[in-house]
Amino acid sequence: MRIVVTGMGIVSPIGTSIDQFWKNAVAGTNGIVSIQSFDAAKQRSRIAGEVQGFDPATFLSTKQIEQTDRFTQLALHAAQQALEDAGGLEGYEPRRLAVSLGSGMGGFSTFESSAARRFQNKSVPPFTVPRIMANSAAAWIATKYGLKGINLTTSTACSSGANAIGMALDLLRNGKADAVVTGGAEACVLPLTMFGFEALFALSTGFNNDPAHASRPFAKGRDGFVMGEGAGILVLEREDAALKRGAKIYAQLAGYGCACDATHIVAPDIDGQVAAMQAALDDAGVTSGQVDYINAHATSTPIGDVVETKAIKQMFGERALEIPISATKSMIGHSIGASAAIGSIAAIMTLQTGTIHPTINLIEADLECDLNYTPNTAAQKKVQTALCNAFGFGGNNVSIVFTTL
Amino acid sequence: MDTAELEAKVIEFIASKVENIDTSTITTASKFEELGLDSMDTVQLLFDAEDAFGVTFDGDEVKNLRTVGDIITYISEHPPEGKG
Repeated sequence: MRIVVTGMGIVSPIGTSIDQFWKNAVAGTNGIVSIQSFDAAKQRSRIAGEVQGFDPATFLSTKQIEQTDRFTQLALHAAQQALEDAGGLEGYEPRRLAVSLGSGMGGFSTFESSAARRFQNKSVPPFTVPRIMANSAAAWIATKYGLKGINLTTSTACSSGANAIGMALDLLRNGKADAVVTGGAEACVLPLTMFGFEALFALSTGFNNDPAHASRPFAKGRDGFVMGEGAGILVLEREDAALKRGAKIYAQLAGYGCACDATHIVAPDIDGQVAAMQAALDDAGVTSGQVDYINAHATSTPIGDVVETKAIKQMFGERALEIPISATKSMIGHSIGASAAIGSIAAIMTLQTGTIHPTINLIEADLECDLNYTPNTAAQKKVQTALCNAFGFGGNNVSIVFTTL
Repeated sequence: MDTAELEAKVIEFIASKVENIDTSTITTASKFEELGLDSMDTVQLLFDAEDAFGVTFDGDEVKNLRTVGDIITYISEHPPEGKG
């Protein structure tokens, strides 16, 4: 049984439609700017990949806006695109339509604003809890579209979106659902959240006056990740059912692998990353020799990019030098729980178009980062097997494999 | 602010918060459920009214607020701090 992607939707700093995102990604468009959504003067990192000009009133009622956090609104917009793109899901029994969504922080925008009100001795909004809860976005997608089957949310930090997509694959393979709306959503360009990442020295702080060059995976001078936000949604179905209803098919979701480092709560680990990649390839039934594109996790932290480079070398041996890699985060920053869903969309578009989007800001690579990261300019190559990596705090490593049919 | 003025302001406020409502149907006797508000809509309305009128509804007394007139009475009996 093959599981296929039949619909996609995205909200990102470089596009709020698949076409716009992909056009900008291929062109190497920077989406990192000085923070506009709040006064960031007190932050050490004052830049972010913000989704600008996003107006929930264009697709949600006043009441729906009042009851939803921004991460849910981003998810709902991407879900609307994906469901329109897939079309025809009304042919399925509603109890067989599932949602599997990832978010690292959930409704933290609401958490921060409600906490601020409380500290000012003001009342807390009545929808504080249902806006904050991590499963809010998944629940709202189900409610808006009548998806009455299994409804799951996975929260595994930066790998949340990848775990959610993998769990969706499992649901379909195990016959627990006929179609799954899956992906990730995050909206944590927020003062408290960013103070927290700053305290860990995880964020870029040296490019506040030059945001366009701040997110620079694998490059010399990188000094941390740039906070991002967005949502990526896929619609998954069994191939036979998709063909039967005449759906267009983007790609096969062929495999999913996970491994926990079980060593350190935030430090990355080569062995765990290799184990996840190997597990995903085994699950997909493909060999390492077949992988011809990697959408890297590549957050632009000094340690993370080196560890991922070493893990790819350990996994693929000498072939590691040949496989084109790219870092979507070089353009949009790190959208935490949404990032792997957005990376998956980039991987799927690569399979579709034969174009590999560039890793921007890679003028001079770190000496320890010596693979083919598709620097600065897109490359043309027919790709049949794409691997998407996502590594999160908690030692959580996830890889997913998409293939052409 | 006299009572008539407050009444007009509260009704105007409710009209702005309740979707698809004809302002002329809102009176001081209107119960929240008659305006199409469920219990969660009502707590949201009262929360918004706190910011709009500079009052804080006491958690226990909120349960006794059932009509538009109840809100007006509460606000007039609990003037904003520094203005009473």
